[in-house]
Amino acid sequence: MSRAQSIMGMATLALRGMKRRPTRSALVLAGVAVAVFLFCTVDAMRSGVERATQKSAGETALIVYRQNRFCPFTSQLPQSYESAIAKIPGVASVTPVKIVVSNCRASLDVVTFRGVPPQEFAVTHSGSASAQDMQSWLSRGDSALIGRELAQRRRLKAGDRFTAAGVDAFVAGIIESDLPQDQSSAFVHLSFLQEQAKRGGTGGVVTQFDVRVSDPAQMDSVAQAIDERFAKDQSPTTTRAETAHVARAATDVIVLVGFAQALGIAALVAVFALVANAIVLSMRSREKEISVLQTLGFRGVHLATLVLLEALLLGGVGGMIGAGASYAAVSLARTAMTMEGVSIAIAPSFAIALIGVAIAIGLSVLAGIVPAIIAARQTIVAGFRS
Amino acid sequence: MQNTNATTPQIHGSSDIIVCDNLEKHYSRGGETVRVLESIDLTLARGAFVALMGPSGSGKTTLLNLFAGIDRPTAGTLMVDGQDLTKLSRAQLAQWRATSVGYVFQLYHLVPVLTAYENVELPLYLHELSRAQRHERVSEALEAVGISDRHAHYPRQLSGGQEQRVAIARAIVTRPALLLADEPTGDLDRVAAASIMQLLSQLHSERGQTIVMVTHDPSTATHAQRLVRLDKGQLVEDVAVLS
Repeated sequence: MSRAQSIMGMATLALRGMKRRPTRSALVLAGVAVAVFLFCTVDAMRSGVERATQKSAGETALIVYRQNRFCPFTSQLPQSYESAIAKIPGVASVTPVKIVVSNCRASLDVVTFRGVPPQEFAVTHSGSASAQDMQSWLSRGDSALIGRELAQRRRLKAGDRFTAAGVDAFVAGIIESDLPQDQSSAFVHLSFLQEQAKRGGTGGVVTQFDVRVSDPAQMDSVAQAIDERFAKDQSPTTTRAETAHVARAATDVIVLVGFAQALGIAALVAVFALVANAIVLSMRSREKEISVLQTLGFRGVHLATLVLLEALLLGGVGGMIGAGASYAAVSLARTAMTMEGVSIAIAPSFAIALIGVAIAIGLSVLAGIVPAIIAARQTIVAGFRS
Repeated sequence: MQNTNATTPQIHGSSDIIVCDNLEKHYSRGGETVRVLESIDLTLARGAFVALMGPSGSGKTTLLNLFAGIDRPTAGTLMVDGQDLTKLSRAQLAQWRATSVGYVFQLYHLVPVLTAYENVELPLYLHELSRAQRHERVSEALEAVGISDRHAHYPRQLSGGQEQRVAIARAIVTRPALLLADEPTGDLDRVAAASIMQLLSQLHSERGQTIVMVTHDPSTATHAQRLVRLDKGQLVEDVAVLS
């Protein structure tokens, strides 16, 4: 006997089985889709948090912030620290950054202005914008290079003007960057932002210093040396790896995402119950049909395959709808969670969508196992008597 | 292809298709043993058209189910188309049914979500046949029962007589040695019933198909060559039918 052919016959039956009770099938598919949508969307958030906060072995970026300050508005450091930091052994580069945000609290639509020295930025970010855009940005004092996600979210393009947090800027171009911090930021000239912000005088005050170390192994020692250097100063500092800085700022969000993730997993458990219930009901109403199939010569393994294929279809189709909808929603939203001036991008992920579908299929098949065993063990005569 | 002959004795080539010896079937119901069939000795020739008759509860459907291998005897031996059915495992019985038996139910029992064509094609998935071969077999079976023009219809779009024709096509599409029918006209009006009986007679006379049919109706039984009557689980009459 050809196993492939008999499975093909069962697949035809399983496919048509979804049409048997269209309302029930549609409700189950909708339930699975909603659960997988929730799971995938929450997992996209979790993935964004993980990308932004997980320390990597090759990390070389440090953030120097004002000690015991947790908001860009209150972290004020003298720009003159730049030369002192640059002299510390192990430091490869220092960039003073002034940050102005449109909202200091956690939000999905925050614009973060990063005031940077133009010439330094042109060197450190060469290649992230076109030469023409970079030249335009360098030549104009009120210009901004904006991250791709911010541009999409606010529908901005080169040549536009936009205003946020009281800062009015000209869009010189779009920058491409893998760093979530860059994707929601508008990079402007440091002096321009200091002038616009009107905080702490027009000269010499920045929010933080972005420091690159020459050797990832020296991250801790360089951070310690920077903080010791300014410990007795009027503006003591706290220096952390960039990922640790984001993680500290995003502590509340991390807790919330963790909670949401638990809800996403609970939704998947609901998939299991939903599919199991649908399959049990379906099989209970088809005991005679199972006996007919047995009479035709179909064996227990065929009937178990039929039940599992039906479960697989419900989980697979529902999962694909949910994962696809989540992918589309996250892609269209192009959102970033920003808190205290740091951003965590929520990006669509094909891998997360695949995992969502795989989990839905796995749970659905698992839900079909007991009904499959019952169907395989049913005796023909008992089925006809039901 | 299936091989259901490996573990059981063979009587292929024998002129007898069913040989049962001292066949018994008992059920346990509420702690009480119900003797549905008792000491049935019966031999049916290959190519015969046999009617099983008897009052309700006489055991005729149970006997048909034993012939079909969908139920097992409590005692006795039962050889059908060369197989001792009492010695086959559950899986072996299923394989044997797929090749040797076609079964027609009183209530047709077509799969409602499949078309007439797909219903007839269903048992062929258990055979090593190409798509083209399956198509040829299904077309031939639908043609034989005179329902080719309804091949794309779903059961709900067919009349009772048409549904039963599709069910007969499904039963013969595997070219079984034995066609079993459990009151095939029991749910049909007089005209449709006559038409179905004509079809079964045609299958018997033109193809030499062995048919064992359970019926209540004496006029239906006249289409058979031989009448076996049961009463209270016992064989009480076994006669040739005079046409």
